[in-house]
Amino acid sequence: MSITTTGNLGPMILQSLAPAMLYVPTPTMNYITICDKVSMPANGGTTCRFMRPRALTPPTIQLGNSGIDPPAQVPQRDIIDAQMAFFGTGCIINEQVILQDQEGVLAWVSERLAVAMRQAEDLILRDYIVSAASEINAGGGSNGFNPTNLGVSDFSLVATTLDTNNAYKFMSGIEGMDRFGTGPVRSAYFMLSSTELQSDFDALTGSGFLSQWNYPTNASALPSEYGSVYNIRILASSEAPVARNAVTNNAGTTTDLYYNTVVGKQAITHINQDGYSMNLIYRDPYYSGMLAQNATLAVKFAQAQALTQDTAIRNLLSTRLSNLGV
Amino acid sequence: MTEYSRMAKGNFTVSGPAATPLSAVVNLPFIPDYVELWNYSNIKTAATHSVTRAWWDVNLLDGTNNPTMLELYAGSATSTVFDTIQTNGISTFSAGQLLQFGPTYSHAIGDFAITKASPAQITTTVAHGLNSGDVVMFEGLFQSATTGMPQINGIPFTVTVTSSTVFTIPWDTSGSNYTVFNTATNTGNIGSFKKVLYPYLYFPGTSFISAITLGATTTVSTTDAHNFVVGQEVAFRIPQAWGPVQLNSLPNTLVPGSPVYGYVVSVTDYHTVVVNINSTAFTAFNVNQTVASLPGLSYPQIVAVGDVNTGGVIISAGSPLYPSPNYTPIGTTNVSTINGPAIRGSFVNNTSQGFVIGAGTAAVDTTSSIMTNGNIIYWHAYVHDFGKP
Repeated sequence: MSITTTGNLGPMILQSLAPAMLYVPTPTMNYITICDKVSMPANGGTTCRFMRPRALTPPTIQLGNSGIDPPAQVPQRDIIDAQMAFFGTGCIINEQVILQDQEGVLAWVSERLAVAMRQAEDLILRDYIVSAASEINAGGGSNGFNPTNLGVSDFSLVATTLDTNNAYKFMSGIEGMDRFGTGPVRSAYFMLSSTELQSDFDALTGSGFLSQWNYPTNASALPSEYGSVYNIRILASSEAPVARNAVTNNAGTTTDLYYNTVVGKQAITHINQDGYSMNLIYRDPYYSGMLAQNATLAVKFAQAQALTQDTAIRNLLSTRLSNLGV
Repeated sequence: MTEYSRMAKGNFTVSGPAATPLSAVVNLPFIPDYVELWNYSNIKTAATHSVTRAWWDVNLLDGTNNPTMLELYAGSATSTVFDTIQTNGISTFSAGQLLQFGPTYSHAIGDFAITKASPAQITTTVAHGLNSGDVVMFEGLFQSATTGMPQINGIPFTVTVTSSTVFTIPWDTSGSNYTVFNTATNTGNIGSFKKVLYPYLYFPGTSFISAITLGATTTVSTTDAHNFVVGQEVAFRIPQAWGPVQLNSLPNTLVPGSPVYGYVVSVTDYHTVVVNINSTAFTAFNVNQTVASLPGLSYPQIVAVGDVNTGGVIISAGSPLYPSPNYTPIGTTNVSTINGPAIRGSFVNNTSQGFVIGAGTAAVDTTSSIMTNGNIIYWHAYVHDFGKP
C-alpha cells in the first residue's frame, strides 16, 4: 500500500504568517512620568529659562515704638536655564520591500520609530538625572558593600531629607480599609528603581515594604508601581540606570550599582519647543532619486530638561542583596 | 550614486604634552565606516618614527581585531613603509548613554599601586592606556579587609598622565586612614580601575568634592571636571563626616525652608572654582575618612542649580560668532559641544558621535604613533551607501 505523505506531496507554500505580530519587549518608561512638562514657544531662542522667587525673610523682629520703618528687603530669585536639543532617527525603505513583503512594513516601522522616540525621551531624562542630581549612598542594608543594599532606614532617610527640604509629594495617602492583608499607604514621593531590585523589596515585606497588591485600593497605583516603603512609592523599570560590576567589597566580590531616583513634584522638568515633540515624517519614494525607489520614515523631536527643584530629588545609590535570575 | 552617503572632512592642530602619543575626538553627525587622515606636519618634515597617513575601515578585521593601517617613516626618513596599530588606533564612538566603561585594569592584566600623597599617584606595571582628561573609577582598593584606600572607591577621577605607566588623581591620600595600596601585595590581589567612557554627556551637573579651602570666598576642588562657569549657581551636599556642613543649602536656620546657594565667581581650572560664600567660620573639610565608615559613607558634592548669566559663550579667534557651550575636561582647555548657542551655565546635552584617533603605537615600529603635540591633521570620514559584504 502506498501512502501519500508530505514527503512526496508537501504543501506548495510552506508557511503562512500568523495573524498578529508578536509584542516587542519594551521597558516601562518611568522618567517621563515624574516630569513637569513645559513647552517653549516657537521663535523663543535656544534656551528655556525658569525663574523661582526666593523666600523673603519672615519679619520676626517687632517694630517697637520708634515709628521708624525697618530696612527694606531686596527680593531675589533663582534662574535655571536649559538648552534645547534636537533628536531624530529614521529608516530608508526600498519600494520593493513595501511592494513585496506580506506584512504592513510601513505600519510597524512607524510604530517602532514612535516607541524608539519615546524611549529616547525617557533615557535622556534618566541619564540627565544621573548626572545632575546629588547622591546618597545606601547604608541601611546588610550586604557589606558601599553602598549597601536598600534597607528601610534608607527610605526613611531620603524621605526625611526631601521632607526637610519642603519638597512636594506626588501622592496623597491611601486610607486603610477593612480588607484582609492590606494596610494604609502614606503620602509619598516616587522612587524610580530597577526591576532587578524587586526581590530585595520583597525581602523587606513585614519590615516596611507594602506590595502594591496590599494597598487598600490600587486605583491610584501606576502600572509600574511595585509597592511602597514608608513615604516612598516605588516605580520599577528594567531600564533604570545600573552600573555593572561597579562595586567591590573587601573580599573581592563585585556587584552592580543601582541609581534609585527619589523625586518630589517639579524636581525635574521636561521641555519641548512649540509642540515639536513627536514628528513622524513619511516621504514617499517620489522624493528619492531618479527612479523614485526609496521611501523614508523618520521621527524627530526637540527636548531639553532641567532640575527645577534640586532640593526635591536625590539619587539613592544601592547595591543588591539578592542574586539575579537569568 | 551616493544618495544617502555621508562625507565629512576637517583639520585640527594636536595639543598636549610634548613627545607623547596623543589622541583626539572628532564629533560628526554620523558614525563613519571609513576614516583616513594625513599628518601634514610629518609629510612636510620627514623624520624617523613619524606617521604620515593613517586609515581605517570598519569591516577590516584581523581575527577579531579592527586595526588601523599606517604609512610611516620607520628607520629611515627618506622612504616610507607600512605598518598597523592593532589597539587604540582609529575607532568610532556613540556617546549617547551614561554608565559605560572601558576595560577593567586589574591584577589579571597587571598590578598597580597607589601612593599616600596629594595628588595620589598611581603606577601600573602594564601601560594604562589613559590620556590626561580621561575619567576613571577605582574599585576594591582594600590592602587588607580593614586597610587600603577603599574610601575612594566609586569616585570618578580625572587623571593627569605623567607617563605610560604613571598617572595622578586629584585626591589627598596622605591622611592617616589611608594605607599604601598595591594589588601585587594585598589580600587576594583585589582592586581595579576602569575608564568612564562618557563622563560629561550632560553638564553642568554634580561633582564630588576633593578639597575645600575656607575663607571669605570658598575654593572648591572636584574629583573630575565640574564644567561650571562664572555665574553658575551652586548648592553643596556635605555629609557630616566631611566637615563643613554649614555650606549645605539646607537647612536654613534664618529663613527656614529657603535653600542657601552660592555663585561661582572664578573658575581656576577644570576642577577648581571659587564660590562667593564666606566660610571663614565653618568646619574644616576632612578628606581623611576611615575605612570602617565605608558601608553607607556618602560623598561631598557640589551641584549646579542655575545661573545668573544673560549671554552665551564669548567669541574668540577662529570661533563661530555664536559659539556653542563648551566643557573643560582637563586644565583650561575648552572643548565645544555640537550644539547651537546657549546661555552660559545652562543645562546642556552633550551627547555626540564620531570617531576617535587613539594614542596607540605601531605594531612593528613601536615608537610611532599617529600624532604628537603640534601636528597638523587633515581627516576625511565617510559612511557609505553600499558596501560588501
